Amino acid sequence: MNITNRTKLKINRFFVYLFLVVLVVITLIPLWLLIVNATRSTVEIQQGISLLPSKYLISNYKILLSKGLDLPLGFMNSLTIAVLTTVLTVYFSMLTAYGLVAYNFKGKKAFFNTILVLVMIPMQLSIIGFYQWMTKLGLNDNYASLILPSIASAGSVFFAKQYLDSIILQDLIDAGRIDGASELGIFHNIMLPIAVPGMFTMAIFAFVASWNNFFNAFILITTRDKYTLPMLVQTLRGDVYRHEYGAIYLGLAASIVPIIIIYFLFSRYIINGISMGAVKE
Amino acid sequence: MLKKLKHHQYGYLFIAPFIIAFLIFSLYPVLNTIFLSFTDRTLMSRTFNITWFRNFQLLFADKTFITAVKNTWQLWLMNFIPQMGIAFLLAIWFTNVRLNIKGVGVWRMIFYMPNLMMASAVAALFFSLFSFYGPVNQFLVRSGFIPEAIDFIRKPAIMRGLVVFIQWWMWFGQTTILLMAAMTAISVSLYEAALVDGASTMQMFTHITLPLIKPVLIYVLVTSLVGGMQMFDIPYLLTDGRGSPSNSILTNTINMYMKFHSSKGHIGAASAVGLVVFLMTSIVALLIFFLLREKKEQPEKQGARR
Repeated sequence: MNITNRTKLKINRFFVYLFLVVLVVITLIPLWLLIVNATRSTVEIQQGISLLPSKYLISNYKILLSKGLDLPLGFMNSLTIAVLTTVLTVYFSMLTAYGLVAYNFKGKKAFFNTILVLVMIPMQLSIIGFYQWMTKLGLNDNYASLILPSIASAGSVFFAKQYLDSIILQDLIDAGRIDGASELGIFHNIMLPIAVPGMFTMAIFAFVASWNNFFNAFILITTRDKYTLPMLVQTLRGDVYRHEYGAIYLGLAASIVPIIIIYFLFSRYIINGISMGAVKE
Repeated sequence: MLKKLKHHQYGYLFIAPFIIAFLIFSLYPVLNTIFLSFTDRTLMSRTFNITWFRNFQLLFADKTFITAVKNTWQLWLMNFIPQMGIAFLLAIWFTNVRLNIKGVGVWRMIFYMPNLMMASAVAALFFSLFSFYGPVNQFLVRSGFIPEAIDFIRKPAIMRGLVVFIQWWMWFGQTTILLMAAMTAISVSLYEAALVDGASTMQMFTHITLPLIKPVLIYVLVTSLVGGMQMFDIPYLLTDGRGSPSNSILTNTINMYMKFHSSKGHIGAASAVGLVVFLMTSIVALLIFFLLREKKEQPEKQGARR
């Protein structure tokens, strides 16, 4: 009886692992093919599939640049936007969340409920009104229109509040007050240093979201020199690259690999961060 | 006492930047979109007329709009259901003590990875993989599964399937992580008590696990719905940016973008599309949230986490 149960469990386990392996292959193969093909010549790619890298990385890169795709510039543009967006998101979300956690003011509950509702509303669909308004302000085709809205990131405030609720120490705040620190000083010198791990998680998510954001930049940015990486990726499908498969894969890989590296470095923060946003009460 | 009151006033200062940025960059654009949707405004002319409900009348009479709404719902549902299915399966296996799967952290780290990839690059990647001379055709023809290459990009059913697959591929890992987090938060003593009472595995799942992970289920459902209704990057970049072949992957946002990007830049009509979808999505999302949300005062459910 005991033995048959054990064999049953063993068989079950075997099929579970088999399923998991198949799922891993499905998950990784598109990305692996992308990276491998970025190192293969167009002729090799047309000859067949290979799972091993070749040695045409540099020549693919040269082809890419020779066709007028300024990958380094796009990379720098995306990086600039992503870094500034991340800084604004993290700082102002923390500031807002701290205001909610540390003080009891009238309308606080209503404000927090509004933030909860905002997380569930498809703001992207107001992009036309946003675009026309930015045009009026002279901010269209300007990175400011992509960066400044991150001062009010409802999702991040929600996360920051959850996080501060779990770590905030009223005693420290009171001690700061007795020492004569200003309210903002307490936030900067006492709370922020304690909250670094949470801020780091928020920063990763804000960075990745900004780095990958195609739609807003696509609507708002028109000058070729200001194109972000996802916008350049989109031009890769044009006629200029029709038969330059190696170069196309390289262009795609260049936009994906930085995120893969970030992921391998910080996956623990990322995976814990996902659960923190949702599991509550 | 007075001093304390003064302190609390600081709260307003701390939330002020958020409120100002929200008013300028979120609320006003929404109001502006509502206003524009009542006009015949284009990007090409400075003058415009208030046409009231004309845009909406045209919209509901427009077959393309109806197709886009239907497509968006279908594409979302077709990926959400299998996504939930696989995520449940994985979360149950990963949290099952008897099964004792090794390397749970590594498995779910791999499964989550596609979620962080740039959607536009992913769409371009699958476009290349499924192109006429692409790797998928090469593989299928050489290994003899099909006699000659198929023009996948022109097959509506295949392109739909591909959009659904990509969405599933990008999101099942995240859903798994969320379900796992919810399941591990359930106290083991509840299951032990149920075992003593002679409950079956299935009974424990429906009577303990499901009710206790409901908040997370609602969260996943609502955020997935809101994201799905705005789906753009993948269907836009997978084919020609017009939802081809034969409008099979035309979504709401692509439809809105096409009106915006038409020769005249019809932002009045584009706003109307945005507004209708905005209302539809918000109402459904908020209904789900408020109807399914548990009422306050319920039995203690928090156990030791992990």
